[in-house]
Amino acid sequence: MVSKNVKIVNSEGFHMRPVSAFVKEMSQFTSDVKIEAGDKVVNGKSVMNLMAAGIRCGAEINVVCTGDDEEAALNAAIAMIESGFGEK
Amino acid sequence: MFRGIPVSEGIGIGKAYVISGKKPEYEKRNVKNTTAEKERFRMAVKTFCEERENMAAKLEAEGSLAQADILRGHIMMIQDPFMTSQIEDQIDTGICAEQACEEELGIYREMFLSVGDEITEQRAADVDDICCGVIGILTGCSAGSVADIPPGSVIVVEELTPSMTAEMNKANVVGIVAEKGGMTSHSAIIARSLGIPAVLSVPGAMSEFVNQLNVIVDGNDGIVFPDPCEDTLNDYRAQKKFLDEEREGLKAYENRPTETADGIKHELCCNVGNLNDATDAAESGGDGIGLFRTEFLFMSRDSMPDEELQFETYKKAAELFKDKEPGNIIIRTLDIGGDKAVPYLEMKEEDNPFLGFRAIRYCLENTELFKTQLRAILRASAFGNIKIMVPLVTEVTEMVKVRQLVDNIKTDLDEEKIDYDKNIQVGAMIETPSASLIADLLAKECDFFSIGTNDLTQYTMAADRGNSKVTYLNNYLEPSVIRSIKHIIECAKCADIPVGMCGEAAADPLMIPLLIAFGLDEFSVSPKAVLKTRYNISRWSVADAKDIAEHVLTLSTAGEIQRYLRRTVYNK
Repeated sequence: MVSKNVKIVNSEGFHMRPVSAFVKEMSQFTSDVKIEAGDKVVNGKSVMNLMAAGIRCGAEINVVCTGDDEEAALNAAIAMIESGFGEK
Repeated sequence: MFRGIPVSEGIGIGKAYVISGKKPEYEKRNVKNTTAEKERFRMAVKTFCEERENMAAKLEAEGSLAQADILRGHIMMIQDPFMTSQIEDQIDTGICAEQACEEELGIYREMFLSVGDEITEQRAADVDDICCGVIGILTGCSAGSVADIPPGSVIVVEELTPSMTAEMNKANVVGIVAEKGGMTSHSAIIARSLGIPAVLSVPGAMSEFVNQLNVIVDGNDGIVFPDPCEDTLNDYRAQKKFLDEEREGLKAYENRPTETADGIKHELCCNVGNLNDATDAAESGGDGIGLFRTEFLFMSRDSMPDEELQFETYKKAAELFKDKEPGNIIIRTLDIGGDKAVPYLEMKEEDNPFLGFRAIRYCLENTELFKTQLRAILRASAFGNIKIMVPLVTEVTEMVKVRQLVDNIKTDLDEEKIDYDKNIQVGAMIETPSASLIADLLAKECDFFSIGTNDLTQYTMAADRGNSKVTYLNNYLEPSVIRSIKHIIECAKCADIPVGMCGEAAADPLMIPLLIAFGLDEFSVSPKAVLKTRYNISRWSVADAKDIAEHVLTLSTAGEIQRYLRRTVYNK
């Protein structure tokens, strides 16, 4: 299991577009992806649960990956979140 | 008459077409062969995704990219493997696919609604739309049909969904009324992108309106009239004709000076909140910036913007207008408090924030923050025709103190040999009854005035802008507000200083003849209202405008004034 803290920087937060992009990316990995935000733990491959978590810009979250490709999955997740999901 | 939130401007006159938003009905069944039922569910999802993709492609071809995106979002949502496995688990307990969908999606709907931010709440509407779609496919009967809307229809609906808009013949829709939704809802985004007048959040619309009823949708003021009388219909027909002509005639007003029918020139500037707006302002043909709201520079971050960042922002704004003459850039100093909080400044909660410690009151107590801003503005003044405007002025002392601070900073800059405009103008935003009443005294300490009609109206009428119970009082056509504006302009004229207006009223076709008559020098409007305002100024000679103003000053209620102005202005 590997994990890392990261801050949400895109202005929209975890909404439709960023969430869709994120889930698409994470689905390429076999590892389990969990997002811990406050007291919530959310499946990082579920569009619906990520949106329902209401994670906003500025929120500190913890990404936890577990599985064979956990390192790669975590790096991809962090890179995506830090880049603001390519939001313009 | 119904009131709601105006989200897409224009006047729509037509016949009601009520779309019942009821979910398709189904019978709850116990399922024995759960494997077959799960397969039925999977097939329905597959069909749903194909349908949505077709709709999205159609919308995309029509240029409605935002709506196409929303529909593709629905595909992502229903394909969420985590959720579909939950639905299939439900089916495994022996309930039918329809019920499993409704219950499971219902849970997500509630989760979205409980997050408490508007964008996530909008997703609940998507969940409903998805739920209707999938159950419709499972049962073979879809919700309210929108495919055969007759021409000239005003759609009345609980909430307009992207899938509805994909199916309907938009050319036949002249107006939209919805029970739910606000400025950022799907209904609003769709209506604006189609240019159809729309009023949302009209409670009871679904039960009060029946098909074929005559309806007027006023997307400017957020009013809906069911079965209007002949007088009202005529008034609105005239206004619609005026708005259509205005829209068609606008192109001719690009790259032209702003002047009355008899050639009296006026300055036409823009209200902006950031550099993007300022760029829009320059592109829209505005003469300068009549109001730069600097609070957004402070609010959109989690620490104070330093002098350098502020300087760069103000400088860039000034440079956008360096080819204009005079290219005035009026920068309003920090206007926080009231409804505008800045988290890192840790302002105390107040019982009465609009009457409390805000704007210039805050800045004069927190001089370090204020001096940083003034210094940034002064430094930027070397690069354009920048002016300083002080918000929420209520007494002369405030202006004296600000001038003193500006003079001190000038001395510092001289010592540091840093360039700035030695004659930088310092003026007041006139937006309180006090400032209006002592405008003659303030004029002695000000190089210019700018009238802020939104706050001037709320304070003059003692009616909270955000309280829907007293919205009717928040009207700048109230005789007291009009008199106040007239008085402020007269005091400025007497003291020979320029006077502008940067509230919404400056772009209102009904106010413009009055402002011309009173002698307003500068109009500051949103970038998208520049051409429209230029057109409306060009319609009046000073003599005609004075006739109208003279009559308005004899009327005693906002209602009478509004009726008179509508007839005179729209029928001209």
